Amino acid sequence: MLMTGSQRKIENRRILYAAILLPLFLLIVSLCLGTLKVSLREVLEILLARISGEPAELLTTPSANIVLNIRLPRVLLALLAGAAFSVSGASLQSLFRNPLVNEYILGVSFGAGFGAAASLVLLSRNFPPQILAFTCGLLAVALVLVISEGARNTLVAVLLTGIIVSALFQALLSALEFIASPYALQSLFFWLLGSFSQATWSDLLWSVPLILAGLAFLLKMSWRINVLSLSDDEARSLGLAVKRERILVICLATLITSAVVAVAGIIGWVGLIVPHAVRGLVGADNRLVLPVSAGLGASLMVLADDLIRTLFPFEFPVGILTSLVGIPFFLYLIRRSRATWS
Amino acid sequence: MQIRVERLRVRYQDFELSVDNLLFSTNRVTALVGPNGAGKSTLLRALAGLIKPIVNSVFIDGLELARLRGWERAGLVSYVPQEHNAALNFSVFDFILMGRSGYLNIFSSPARADYQKVEEVISYLGLEALARRKCQELSSGERRIVLIARALAQDSKIILLDEPTTFLDLKHEMEVINLLRRLAADRAKTIITSVHSIDLIPRLADFLVMIKAGRILATGPTTEIFRAELLESLFDYPLRVVEAEGKQLILR
Repeated sequence: MLMTGSQRKIENRRILYAAILLPLFLLIVSLCLGTLKVSLREVLEILLARISGEPAELLTTPSANIVLNIRLPRVLLALLAGAAFSVSGASLQSLFRNPLVNEYILGVSFGAGFGAAASLVLLSRNFPPQILAFTCGLLAVALVLVISEGARNTLVAVLLTGIIVSALFQALLSALEFIASPYALQSLFFWLLGSFSQATWSDLLWSVPLILAGLAFLLKMSWRINVLSLSDDEARSLGLAVKRERILVICLATLITSAVVAVAGIIGWVGLIVPHAVRGLVGADNRLVLPVSAGLGASLMVLADDLIRTLFPFEFPVGILTSLVGIPFFLYLIRRSRATWS
Repeated sequence: MQIRVERLRVRYQDFELSVDNLLFSTNRVTALVGPNGAGKSTLLRALAGLIKPIVNSVFIDGLELARLRGWERAGLVSYVPQEHNAALNFSVFDFILMGRSGYLNIFSSPARADYQKVEEVISYLGLEALARRKCQELSSGERRIVLIARALAQDSKIILLDEPTTFLDLKHEMEVINLLRRLAADRAKTIITSVHSIDLIPRLADFLVMIKAGRILATGPTTEIFRAELLESLFDYPLRVVEAEGKQLILR
């Protein structure tokens, strides 16, 4: 028994390494792609020169400017967004004991979207939109949970309330668009569809630390999330402060989601597809599911963005692409889990 | 380690459970017996800290149950539910490992000592063949044993069980009964279990607590109070207790 245990440990470690290396590899490759082709060697030289911190002639070239100030923030944001959506999706699915739940269904996406838009339209552009995005994202998920609490068929109740609360925030968003200036409206419209194309270092300044901190805490809690996926009675009898720990996980998942939404807009369904695929690969244990979802989600998101940058002659919003792939997958999952709906 | 119930009142909707002066002692299996809805599960759930009683004067070796933190209570009392419906399909090993939660803080994962405890439990119960299987592949009898294994990994002296033999076939039923007896005798556990089928009681329990409509009807050693008159008034149904080959049997 111990033999198979250690063999499994080695195999798991390999999967973990792959989940870390794949996004790093894609990060470097993605920096080469775009209208202006930059060779892999040149990209590496630029990165090394930048990291060493010494002033080099190389850093003043147009390619260096494009790689460091346009592509790097964009690719980094795509990586973190993929990781954030996937980890929050995986955590929430365990917490709600339901493979269909994700931040989109729980109303977090539209709540955070409204919050960020309100911040951009009503407050100063210099005020970080992450704050209102997080507040409204939290408000949306709290509304869903309070309204659906005590319903006999919790799954259907959560899904329906999620739709209604999302609709509420969409209506509020439309109201905002109505009062926004034409100039603000244009950028609002594009941002809402979900895109990494406008990412700048100043956008990332706030979001990156929030996402990294939220991810770190959720990954630290990955084993605890296993226990939280049991029934309330079981988790409580095992010694957990169930309610408090659930709320903490929901807050962290909402934090990383809204930190992405605040800068990249609404990109749905990634958090549904990735954890599902990962569970098929490594099993149910969140100590593996969470980090591997982070790596795979980051990789897929960067790939999706690369596709858009290379295949389309114009900036096609990545949020539309993920929805076009994600919604059929959601319907497939619903059909498969019909038993739990009756 | 023993549980002393001084005063316990639990109320929900129009049902009230009221228990005074009850002692569950170490090294024995105590069975809670009574008709459906009498309050057996409610008493178990109150002792496990899963519901909030309105009066809760219960002491575990002198410690007041109501004042214990969740993780402190988990180190003293474990609770084995009747069924486990997992959303996620954990391996049996990972499932038993969750019994260690009370010893770990919210940001930590199990360490070597926790794995060793689980391995010890697995070899004590002879579950080596199941350890790598997935929980959802198990038969209901195997799943019941795995639930008990998780309680053993929790390493508490008191184990509460909610009808652990219901829906099991004859062989698994006897397996669970023998295991509970072994735990009380060899491991000095205080076993408190509700029982659905009274036929099993003489084989299972040293001590009986008869509950009817939220009140204690009788308590005492099985050899003394497992009698036809008491059982009849407990279940409102005529029956006889006969002895055959040294065992007490119920005729109804």
